[in-house]
Amino acid sequence: MKDPAPIALEQAPILAREAFADGQVVLRLHAPACAARALPGNFVHLRCDALLPLRRPLSLMRADPEAGWIEILFKVVGRGTALLAAKEVGEAIDLLGPIGHPFIPHPERPRPLLVGGGVGIPPLVFLSQHLRRDSLYLPLALFGSESPFPFQPRPSNILVPAMPAGVIACLPLLDDWGIPSRLASGQGFPGCHPGRVTELARLWLEGLDAPARRQVEIFACGPHPMLEAVAALAREFAVPAQVSLEEFMACGVGGCAGCTVRVETAQGPAMRRVCVDGPVFAAETVFP
Amino acid sequence: MSDDPRLALDFCGLRFATPLVLLSGCVGFGREYTRVEGFSNGDAGALCLKGTTLEPRLGNPAHRIAETPGGMLNAIGLQNPGVDAVVKEILPDLDFSETRVIANVSGATVEEYYEVTRRFDDSPIDAIEINISCPNVKAGGVAFGNDPAMSARVVAACRKATRKPLITKLSPNQTDIADNARGCIEAGSDAFSVINTLMGMAIDVESRAPVIGNNQGGLSGPAIKPVALLKVHQVYEVAAPHGIPIIGQGGVSSAEDAIEFLLAGATAVGVGTALFYDPLICPRINAGILDYMDRHGLAEVAQITGALRLNTPPATPCRC
Repeated sequence: MKDPAPIALEQAPILAREAFADGQVVLRLHAPACAARALPGNFVHLRCDALLPLRRPLSLMRADPEAGWIEILFKVVGRGTALLAAKEVGEAIDLLGPIGHPFIPHPERPRPLLVGGGVGIPPLVFLSQHLRRDSLYLPLALFGSESPFPFQPRPSNILVPAMPAGVIACLPLLDDWGIPSRLASGQGFPGCHPGRVTELARLWLEGLDAPARRQVEIFACGPHPMLEAVAALAREFAVPAQVSLEEFMACGVGGCAGCTVRVETAQGPAMRRVCVDGPVFAAETVFP
Repeated sequence: MSDDPRLALDFCGLRFATPLVLLSGCVGFGREYTRVEGFSNGDAGALCLKGTTLEPRLGNPAHRIAETPGGMLNAIGLQNPGVDAVVKEILPDLDFSETRVIANVSGATVEEYYEVTRRFDDSPIDAIEINISCPNVKAGGVAFGNDPAMSARVVAACRKATRKPLITKLSPNQTDIADNARGCIEAGSDAFSVINTLMGMAIDVESRAPVIGNNQGGLSGPAIKPVALLKVHQVYEVAAPHGIPIIGQGGVSSAEDAIEFLLAGATAVGVGTALFYDPLICPRINAGILDYMDRHGLAEVAQITGALRLNTPPATPCRC
């Protein structure tokens, strides 16, 4: 049996910190060992405070192996993330990572559809960063959020077929990389689709002919109802989908079985650990 | 890997390289934590494998864990692949030269405990821990462990199935842990693990539902250390005259914590929840114990066991 990749334990100083609306924070951390091995879909397990008994798992948004940094985006939802958000540039964070089964694009499916919701957006930014290196892939990213996006949306320079009139806002970073993106929100943000991100995904899939659809693979991360809707879309359009899950986590390395999710396998139902068997799973195993 | 002979000790005829034991349910089946750079099973004298039953079990639904003040609740529900898979597929992959390996046996009936123990007896396992204190399953577990007569029956059944060292893991969720320990000694227990988790609950006030899918779970972490220390002391008073050792456990997260357990009567000290936030805690605890031994002029760690100096109780009872 091949041993899984080692997990680094680093004291990672904060290089940069940026705060956005609704308690969203982006941290850039100096973590060279983690950055060198990080793949889209991986997460880091952070010790937010010496007095908290458990670490907090957070998806990687970007990594620069040459410069040795990683970036995470999170939203303050409780004590751990509040303590993390209060840390300042220069402070070091005890970090375990990278951990987890990553997103795996397939060359026979060169049209990746990336669907992200809220704080589920970061791992899909990381996947975009990887896909742009290979001209084979023609990805489209669709992001939804009910909080103001943790970036300044701007009108896209890239045309996306089948989008409703006026849906022109994009994530500038992806646009600069040449990757088309569109945004959705029920909050009426300008240039965004005034509804669910999965509605945009459906419109795009409906606009493809059958040969093009056979080249699509969906990659998704976000709230559970969004992932459920993505899995239903994938079934309806007969395209494979990979979903990234989250669950309360203790050890983060597969030792405690505290973060399991029920999946369907060829041998029947099974419990899989989100930390090391996931967080990325085939959608049909989680939403059969 | 610890190679300081002053930390080594004898536990039921087994040599432990250090007094630390990686606890059942925290380190999977022995390989999971070895992925963490710098971690070595050799920093502990022994590791206890995840609780194992006769047939595979899926365990409890999510959420299985919740952070609480100074600790955490868990209700995993004995998810495991069944004893045959453990013996045939997992044990051959373990490096028995790193540390001593202890199986953790659970069951819903006395017969199941017997059968799982029998199958581990026919394996390279060094010792067998009988888990009669899992608070998270409907049958067996703590239902046996809180009943002294049932506890003794389970121990007696396992005793018939093996000559390997038998360690009974006692529940703190009972009235008189010392009385239970007495019965287990008579039934053939060679050692004790003290304590398993304390039963508890956490509630989400918005949804008004318990956070844990199983509604209740077992509390571990620093929050339970004072309870665990007292239970170790109580069991020690019963077990010491028989030369029966204890793995003291409950919230150990520093060398000082470990030394407290040794003083209270433990021969070895379990580390569990602390690994979750500090995977490299064992070498730090080992170093801290050695430092304590230097300061107190001790040649071997066993000299700390039971060296507690109790205060003299007041001559007149207090009026509280």
